[in-house]
Amino acid sequence: MNRLFYPKLAFLNLRKNANTYIPYILTCIGSIVTFYIMISIYGNKGLDTMPGSENLKIILFLGTIFIGIFSVIFLFYTNSFLIKRRKKELGLYSILGLEKKHIARVLFYETLFSSTISLVLGLLGGILIGKLLFLLLLRMIHFQIPLAFSVDVFGLIVTAIVFLIVFLLTLLTNFLQVKLANPIDLLKGGEQGEKEPKASWIVTIIGLISLGVGYTIALMVESPVEAIFLFFVAVLFVIIGTYALFTSGSIALLKLLKRNKKYYYQSRNFISVSGMIYRMKQNAVGLASICILCTMVLVTISTTVSLYIGQESMMRDLYPLDVGIIGTASEVDPLATQSLIATEKTKANVEVTDVLVFNFNQIRTIRDGNLFLPDNLNESNSDAMNYEAMSELWVIPLDDYNRITQSDKTLTENEVMIFSVSENYGENSMMFGNNQFSVKEELESIPMDQKKGLTIGNKYYLIVKDEQTMTTMLQSLNGNEQSNALQAATLFNLKGTEDAKMLFSENLEGSLAQTNPNISMDNLYLSMSEWYILFGGFLFLGVFLGSLFIMATVLIIYFKQISEGYEDCERFEIMQKVGMDKKEVKKTIGKQILMVFFLPLAVAFIHVGFALPVMIKMLAVFRLTETSLIILCTGVTALVFAVFYALVFMLTAKSYYKLVKQER
Amino acid sequence: MRLLEVRSLKKIYTTRFGGNQVQALSNVTFSVDQGEYVAIMGESGSGKTTLLNILASLDKPTSGEVFLDGKNIVTIKDSEISAFRRENLGFVFQDFNLLDTFSIEDNIFLPLVLAQKTYDDMNSRLKPLAKRLEINDILKKFPYEVSGGQKQRAAVARALITQPKLVLADEPTGALDSKSAMNLLKIFSSINALGQTILMVTHSIVAASHANRVLFIKDGEIFNQIYRGSMSNEDMYQKISFTLALLATGGNDVE
Repeated sequence: MNRLFYPKLAFLNLRKNANTYIPYILTCIGSIVTFYIMISIYGNKGLDTMPGSENLKIILFLGTIFIGIFSVIFLFYTNSFLIKRRKKELGLYSILGLEKKHIARVLFYETLFSSTISLVLGLLGGILIGKLLFLLLLRMIHFQIPLAFSVDVFGLIVTAIVFLIVFLLTLLTNFLQVKLANPIDLLKGGEQGEKEPKASWIVTIIGLISLGVGYTIALMVESPVEAIFLFFVAVLFVIIGTYALFTSGSIALLKLLKRNKKYYYQSRNFISVSGMIYRMKQNAVGLASICILCTMVLVTISTTVSLYIGQESMMRDLYPLDVGIIGTASEVDPLATQSLIATEKTKANVEVTDVLVFNFNQIRTIRDGNLFLPDNLNESNSDAMNYEAMSELWVIPLDDYNRITQSDKTLTENEVMIFSVSENYGENSMMFGNNQFSVKEELESIPMDQKKGLTIGNKYYLIVKDEQTMTTMLQSLNGNEQSNALQAATLFNLKGTEDAKMLFSENLEGSLAQTNPNISMDNLYLSMSEWYILFGGFLFLGVFLGSLFIMATVLIIYFKQISEGYEDCERFEIMQKVGMDKKEVKKTIGKQILMVFFLPLAVAFIHVGFALPVMIKMLAVFRLTETSLIILCTGVTALVFAVFYALVFMLTAKSYYKLVKQER
Repeated sequence: MRLLEVRSLKKIYTTRFGGNQVQALSNVTFSVDQGEYVAIMGESGSGKTTLLNILASLDKPTSGEVFLDGKNIVTIKDSEISAFRRENLGFVFQDFNLLDTFSIEDNIFLPLVLAQKTYDDMNSRLKPLAKRLEINDILKKFPYEVSGGQKQRAAVARALITQPKLVLADEPTGALDSKSAMNLLKIFSSINALGQTILMVTHSIVAASHANRVLFIKDGEIFNQIYRGSMSNEDMYQKISFTLALLATGGNDVE
């Protein structure tokens, strides 16, 4: 036989099955592109020079592994779909006299062609799109000097190896399929009459319970720290629940509907209900996967978008005033600091406003009712509950407070005024060891800080009579241990252009370090550039994973539509012969498809709705506390996603109808 | 009484690019009386299926008219055609055409559900019919669980449950073994005896020999017809065989 016979046959097969092979190859290319880009960004040398890049690299590394696993699962899914469709064709070959080893040879060449095309185009696309995305990422994180995006040879090799293995594995499973089946089975392919699915009530109930547990956990979470721990537990329950309910619950529900004779035997329900039972049987797992993917996309993107948009307010939360200079009071000369500021501000051309100069003592304590205990937490005994009780106290003498606020309040030795950053303190007294202080006044505002929503632990500003009282308070708390040294703080805001503020901050930090190495400076603008990198990275990854998931969803939907189309055109014909008009048939089939494909989206929205409280609490860990912003970001993300989903549905539905019509 | 009247029916198929024209029916005229059992015979490609599709209102003729109970089905509007088909015609196909997603019972109910009948009404119609067709035991089963003969009887039940004016059967015994085929033909004869008009297209001489009248179609035209009169099924079989032989040799002479 001609040596070129098998490659030729394989090539013809690919061309003949183009309408299923093109999406398959596109899927492969998409997966390769994403995988390569992740790896090459991870391995980019330039990234190492950026501050805060360690965090980003960890995220990217995890992302690479995740994408790898996801691609493998997805490629296997699409491959199994393809081979199922082609069983008839393979059976025909075997009846026409091709031995199994010959069929295997054809399959080998087919895989060779499709994987070569995928790898070459995928890697080329990866290099091009990678360059584009990298520039985008750098723009997003406000990084000044663009890094060179070079072709990452290591990344190319790793990607090629990983995907060659994947292709090899799919080929092996195809071999196995051909080996195990006899020609008659192959020829009949998927045509054997399908059994009516049975509803398992146990699985349905398990599904309901685990979904309920997942939702309850999500709703019950009270504190931000708890949220991080419990979120994954809740996610696990929800995933189990989703799969159980899609596979078994849906069928149980439809069976119930079917049992209701009055409802079932109506022309608009009759065909839908029985058709849906079979559709759900075939599609349940796919739909549950789509649903979970959608949920992930929505949660990832809306979280990262919220973080990115909210980062300025988060920074405000950390730094109530733009710049804070803090050092041990005995070693700092406030006047020297002032003159440094004065020199630098004229140099950088910025205005300094709202200057606050005061002394304070910072104490970390554990609060229990009105009792304050020393903070003796260390790694071994810290758990979530202790974090919640953690209270940070800033004790400020009355003189400084009166000077800053230009008031003339008075306090006796055993009296304090208190300002709480989150919920009001609420008690009448404070106990430090055996020493009791009575709360004279609960302040509503304080110049150096502001009220916040959710926080981890609490922060209190205490105003006491004088420095002597501060020492007493500390000693009664810590026993005879050495008390914390008194700190001197200079806080102020800046006015000017962004660049000027940045310049001022950098210069001031430098000259402060020269004059007094023990002094520390917190600065909104310097921190901001570091946080931009972290959250820009988050956002990039979120959007990136989001687009990957969307790609997966699109392709799953496409494959489903096509496979349904082949099966439906036969039913389409029978129904017409029995006396249903074309419009009706189109309407009922359209309705079923609509239900099947929008069910995952609807359930995903419900999931996201329940995840929202947890997301809000979790984001508070990152000090993002603007609930309305988070809800807005989530809503907009969901809306954009829904529009996109509908668009994909419409496009694929078109090809579905074409298929049904063409077959007639 | 005339139930069906077909007048000079003509159907020309044009290939997709308008090149070749194929004449499936050139000039077909015949009529069927109320309560008749008519078989149409002919070789593959003689135009039988085209004729049946036109009678079933699934296809439109190029020219000519078809009257069912005085109504011209060629000019019925598209929007009314499905309802017309549902109310007046019953179909039995060679490959049964049962929907695999429905139980046998639901398959039979399908046309009634489309006509928006109540469940009680449907059920009361089904009971005597199921008993007569001996499908009582399999009503709750699914098509893939029953034999070909049972499937075809279910399909007959589906055709009859709407009490149609005319039952159209397209090679109803084509996919059945001889025993099931004989069984089905007996059923057809018995429902015909109850007054049901049947028009059957078939290859099978056995099947045709059960009819009251056999029409032979060749090259898109009615070539001959045989009336049963007082003939037995066996005599009928002989006569049909003879006519078919004549048809085959005579046809060659014409060409």
